[in-house]
Amino acid sequence: MVTFIEGIGTRTLKLCRSAFETLFFTWQVILRLFDLKTYNKATQLVIITQLYFTAVQILPLFIYISALMGLFLMGIVLDSIKQLGMAGYLGNILMGFIFTEVCPFMTVLLLALRSGAALNTEVAVMKVSKELDALNVFRIDAFDYIVVPRILSGIISVVLLNGIFTLVLLASGALFSRMIFGLAFDAYIRILVVSADFSDLVILILKCATFGFFITLLPIRYGLTASNELSSIPIAVLNGMNNVFIAIVVIEVLSLILSSI
Amino acid sequence: MILFKDENRLDEALSDLKERHPENLGLVSTDIPLISNLNVWLNIALIRLYHLSESRLQAKRRVVGLLNRFQKREIAGLRISALDHWERYLVKLLRAAMVQDALIVIDRPFRLVPDLPDAELIENSLNRIDDLYFSCRIFDYSWNQDRYRIKDVSES
Repeated sequence: MVTFIEGIGTRTLKLCRSAFETLFFTWQVILRLFDLKTYNKATQLVIITQLYFTAVQILPLFIYISALMGLFLMGIVLDSIKQLGMAGYLGNILMGFIFTEVCPFMTVLLLALRSGAALNTEVAVMKVSKELDALNVFRIDAFDYIVVPRILSGIISVVLLNGIFTLVLLASGALFSRMIFGLAFDAYIRILVVSADFSDLVILILKCATFGFFITLLPIRYGLTASNELSSIPIAVLNGMNNVFIAIVVIEVLSLILSSI
Repeated sequence: MILFKDENRLDEALSDLKERHPENLGLVSTDIPLISNLNVWLNIALIRLYHLSESRLQAKRRVVGLLNRFQKREIAGLRISALDHWERYLVKLLRAAMVQDALIVIDRPFRLVPDLPDAELIENSLNRIDDLYFSCRIFDYSWNQDRYRIKDVSES
């Protein structure tokens, strides 16, 4: 019985310590993100490279998936709206659910699967192969050079890719609303504009930025927990990706609560 | 050149040097790897890009010029995994020479380039970039002394 209680205590302490370390790491990143000294030529180069890897290289696959998703999703949603006789709520459903909830969620899921896992492994490999120590010997701050540029490019990438995903879904919506409701394109746009709320757009951009921040911060943070052994890489990646998915769900729930207030 | 009787003394001397010269130590060692996700020229230019915010073009031109001193300009765009031991040594040496007023320390050259018969190539490589560093030391084991032509030797 005592061992059981001790086990719970140990796990709780471990969880609390990990959460505290992640919060401290987050605070340090935020401070460095707003420090102009972080942005020298080397970090600028990393930001550009990371933007290419995260936001540009994925574009063909991303557009293909969003077009496919758009066709299925918008087809099903608009058909259901017609069958349920809710045509009057078309704009509210599209703006309040599809564009502010589904689009960011799908974007972040795709990016977390691709770039989050890659970042986690990259940092863990750098740690194991002592490349971070090499940077330290030459007085190159790994935080400035490795962490901050990757997180900044993650934030920018999620915001931009969400814009693309939304545009593709908008186009699918226009197509299906013409086919199902016989709506002209200008009428379709008018319905969306009337239903759009400025605060929703602000929350949407903030949500995308928060998603981008955490789907890059957590893989890096857990990549840095790798030890000097190769076998620690999969463990670091596993922990990092678990926490990324928990963070996605938490942010999604928080944004739902925020937008419902 | 400083020769050591065993590994512990050599490691202690290296740690001591790291503490005494954190600003300008240019260490060339197997324990200080090159960055695997950067190509050769970026590995060399990184220090100046980071500390001096040198422009990308200027840094690349400088690195290609330096590689050309060893007739190796063709490796500038390669990844580290495509290099042999000698090329990796050269890249590490040039990276160390990018430190301002560099005190270059070559840690066990025959561990860096295992297939070298003697240290002639190492000495030549240092002579070719003698305008880039302030001082240079080679750390090795005393049983390798015969492989060097250098007269300025101390034992620890």
